[in-house]
Amino acid sequence: MIVIVGALNYASRLSFIAFFARRHIPASLARAFRYVPAAMLTALVVPMVAAVPHAAPEAGLSAQALVALAPRVAGAVVALAVAWRTHGTLPTLVAGMGTLWLVQAIVAGAP
Amino acid sequence: MIPACLGLVPFGVVCGVGAAGAGASWWSALGLSAIVFSGAAQILAVQLLAAGAPVAVIVLTCFVAGLRFLMYSAAMAPLLRPLPARAQQALAFLLTDQAFAAAVRRFERGGDPHAAARHYFGGGFALWMFWQAANLAGYFAGSMIPASWSLDFAVPLCFIALVAPQFRSRNAIVAAAVAGVAVLALAWLPMRLNLIAAGTFGIVAGTVADFASTRRTAR
Repeated sequence: MIVIVGALNYASRLSFIAFFARRHIPASLARAFRYVPAAMLTALVVPMVAAVPHAAPEAGLSAQALVALAPRVAGAVVALAVAWRTHGTLPTLVAGMGTLWLVQAIVAGAP
Repeated sequence: MIPACLGLVPFGVVCGVGAAGAGASWWSALGLSAIVFSGAAQILAVQLLAAGAPVAVIVLTCFVAGLRFLMYSAAMAPLLRPLPARAQQALAFLLTDQAFAAAVRRFERGGDPHAAARHYFGGGFALWMFWQAANLAGYFAGSMIPASWSLDFAVPLCFIALVAPQFRSRNAIVAAAVAGVAVLALAWLPMRLNLIAAGTFGIVAGTVADFASTRRTAR
């Protein structure tokens, strides 16, 4: 199964190089491609940040869910700002984790 | 290249930790990192495996996660045209976000495409080696770290680091905003289809904004 996923990933990477090696990419398609990373990466990130044990969509936002969610959202926002400025993985990680822990401590200490 | 290699290390460690956390064996974790060589796909694969998802779903979801490689592939195509087919194929395997960014800079500087390709090979291979080492280190160190540290949060942070440079244009922000809202609104869809759907909506939104803004300036 690993091989299949690897093969598919590889096929994605190769596909357009091979297909378009001798051809011209239509301009409209090329313009759409520019937005693939922003859209796809965001679609991946948002559920990860919102992934909190007690947060069932039907149950709405319980107090427990908010307590668990707030540090993650705060961390994500700060990380986004730092990443936008520095373009660096390490500063982003430090800022994001730091904010997460800070807000977790604040929330835990203030019932 | 060195900063890019170092930047990959925390991400790789996090992926290794994630694999251990999901209960994968060390050689399947290494297999994932060596053959698949894509953090997004690896993370999703181990999570879905642990949740007992069917193979078809795992494969499809990882394919979706890797869709941005289609775009990189399209962008690289004109640059790699002068190279022999086998070189193109090998370079395709090594295509990652960092390699792409570095390669584009190098190729655009002009001069001999073969030298640029060698530069890309060297950098790409170095990245690959660092990735394996980081994954292994994360895998074995993972068991020593308590869950209360919330280290799983490091994974989305790495992706945030990857996506932030995309927000240079307002259209990209539109694309991301639409995708972000859609993925939450569609979370009820089975088999994590909300990822594909939201991504598609985002791409369409960005493209529409793009066309709308050029029409405005053309008037």
